[in-house]
Amino acid sequence: MARSYLFIPGNTPSMLQHANVFDSDAVIIDLEDSVSLQKKHEARRLVFEYLTKYYDSSIEIYIRINDPSTPFFEADVALLDGLPINGYVLPKATKDTVLLLSRMTKKPLIAIIESAYSVVTLEDIAKIESIKGLLLGAEDYTTDMNIERTIDGEELIYVRSRLAIYAKAYNKEAIDTPFTMKDDEEGLKKDILRAKALGLHSKSVIHPNHVTLVNQLMSPSESLVLWATRVLKKKAMTSKGAFSLDGKMVDEPIIKKAQKIIDEVKKYS
Amino acid sequence: MKLLNSLDELFKEIDIHQNKAISFHHHLRNGDLVINQVLEKYHSHHVQEIALFPSAIFPSYQMIKRLLEQDQIAHITTNYISGGVADYLSNQGKENILTMQTHGGRARAIIEGKSKIDIAFIAAPSVNYKGDAIGYKGPSKCGSLGYAIADSEYAKIVVLLTDHLVDEEFDRVEIHGSNVDYVVSLDKIGDPSGIVSGTTNITTNPIGVKIAKQTARFLEDIDVIKDGFSFQSGAGGISLKVTAELENYMKIKQITASFFSGGITGYHVGLLERGLVDKLYDVQCFDLTAIDSLSRNKNHIPISASKYANPADIDQVIKDLDVVILGATEIDLDFNVNVTTDSHGIIMGGSGGHSDTASEAKVSVIVSPLFKGRLPIIKKHVTTITTLGKHIDVLVTERGIAINPLRKDLLEKCKQSLLKIKTIEELYQEAINYTGIPKDVTRSDVQIGVIEDRTYDKIDRLYRK
Repeated sequence: MARSYLFIPGNTPSMLQHANVFDSDAVIIDLEDSVSLQKKHEARRLVFEYLTKYYDSSIEIYIRINDPSTPFFEADVALLDGLPINGYVLPKATKDTVLLLSRMTKKPLIAIIESAYSVVTLEDIAKIESIKGLLLGAEDYTTDMNIERTIDGEELIYVRSRLAIYAKAYNKEAIDTPFTMKDDEEGLKKDILRAKALGLHSKSVIHPNHVTLVNQLMSPSESLVLWATRVLKKKAMTSKGAFSLDGKMVDEPIIKKAQKIIDEVKKYS
Repeated sequence: MKLLNSLDELFKEIDIHQNKAISFHHHLRNGDLVINQVLEKYHSHHVQEIALFPSAIFPSYQMIKRLLEQDQIAHITTNYISGGVADYLSNQGKENILTMQTHGGRARAIIEGKSKIDIAFIAAPSVNYKGDAIGYKGPSKCGSLGYAIADSEYAKIVVLLTDHLVDEEFDRVEIHGSNVDYVVSLDKIGDPSGIVSGTTNITTNPIGVKIAKQTARFLEDIDVIKDGFSFQSGAGGISLKVTAELENYMKIKQITASFFSGGITGYHVGLLERGLVDKLYDVQCFDLTAIDSLSRNKNHIPISASKYANPADIDQVIKDLDVVILGATEIDLDFNVNVTTDSHGIIMGGSGGHSDTASEAKVSVIVSPLFKGRLPIIKKHVTTITTLGKHIDVLVTERGIAINPLRKDLLEKCKQSLLKIKTIEELYQEAINYTGIPKDVTRSDVQIGVIEDRTYDKIDRLYRK
């Protein structure tokens, strides 16, 4: 699981060469929205050449390909599927397009949920085996719904919650939509915490300067780590299946939760 | 002190042909209208063998190029050159015409008589009836006049040129009337739009931000950011971002710095006004906020280049400097830094206070992207040495931090750091993995000048292209 997924335009060499310097846990190299129709072929070739020569295994790498309704989809997969990337990000995902892509590749997939139809059929998408995560695309979703995208994101409460619940139910990652205000650090902070409170524990990022805060806030808090450490320490000292800590009962699910927190901390420290 | 109304009147008083070693300061930067007016007189009087001592040369100082083309200049001693004069010298400069000094080295050389100046031509934004001058008031205000102080005290003849003669006493006199021989009134000495620097914005570039954050964390890790620490960061976007990052840390830890020094910006003034630093020692103002602060805040103190960085000056401010943040055009595996030429050997800058502050600060940090364009910043050998590697302690890039092996204490302090500490060789390999090894640039054997350190040692040579 990654805390941050940083979008990197696939047609910009200066950004590609820095893909691994911004400390995001994962990057999504984009061949879709950030590449104009005239530059699709050029960008695909650039990404292929770049990853062939400079692949860095220390970071998870995904490629957002063009969706199957475009003439670029098949060529994207045909050229890129041999690369040692971690998976594809599929825009405008539906059950049918995810299944189509699953037949063409064995790589894990992240589905971008960005239409009312995808939200309604979320369970069908989430249960597909090749799906690794569900990523909320709030810009296209609010356009589809003909509603305003606001800084407070109240219009996203339902869709964020639904995405988080289905992701959890099928053991997939719930990845929040990017925050689009480049220089509004306070707004970003609130946006991350809102998503996290609803159960999204990863966030996509479109500006590298957002990565640090996303990583920081999507990591377990200091007090949580301290609590988990104490739980595991007490567990190690007792043979009982359940015990009390600070007046509260601790049993197997809570011990598992504490272990998960410590595993996360180890992974990202 | 004699008051005159034009340069023509001045050169009736002084024999221009007998006074050919002449100095200028660069506080009006690209908005300076004095140097061209004065040199026009040297040009029209066909003065030969001029020895020029400007503290820096900016692109607008076009008369210098004209005099070079007419072969009227025997030698230039300066700290920084950009624009047409730099290009001319690099492409057509005659042998041994140039000495590049540091700011502290220039003041030292003037005070110790190594640089003998016949006339100091000092653009003065405000002058009073006693011949006292300040830089922080007047239509062409520029703030501190720090680079002109040694000239005003040691030149044979001191000439102030002003467009703002006033009948008032000044609070903080920078140029003392007792040292002044002539005051020449001119219509205009500066163009305000060219006086303030355009480089005083905090960077938001992601690479710059990453470097700045890493630098701030490094300084926290080595425990130099503590109550009473002193700091210099210059006006570059990354340097200012480092300062901004440190501000957050200082607020959290309730730390107050003792002083910031060097070139001062509005951002530094903000820190002073927010009580995060006790004093600003200002040798050069970079923007209007800094200039205005100088006129009203007693803890914003103008200082001379000698007091700033002359190693022979017992009051030298930077001897107490804890941390300096500096830039680099190139740095090599021995940590030598070039900020004088580009990688083709063309002059595009100079030391300014680079070598001075790196030599004196307890920790000198170079902040730079690992590559600029498609060129790696780290080379096996820099094209030109501006600052010796023994004075550079740390290089911070977006891909990691290299500590000079001479600084075993810093290496020890960073053993537990979560930052990416690498050797400079590792960073070099990482860079050339992306860029390849740049081809060696050919140059002529014609030596046009030398790089003179503040110690007077000649640490490198400059060649014609």
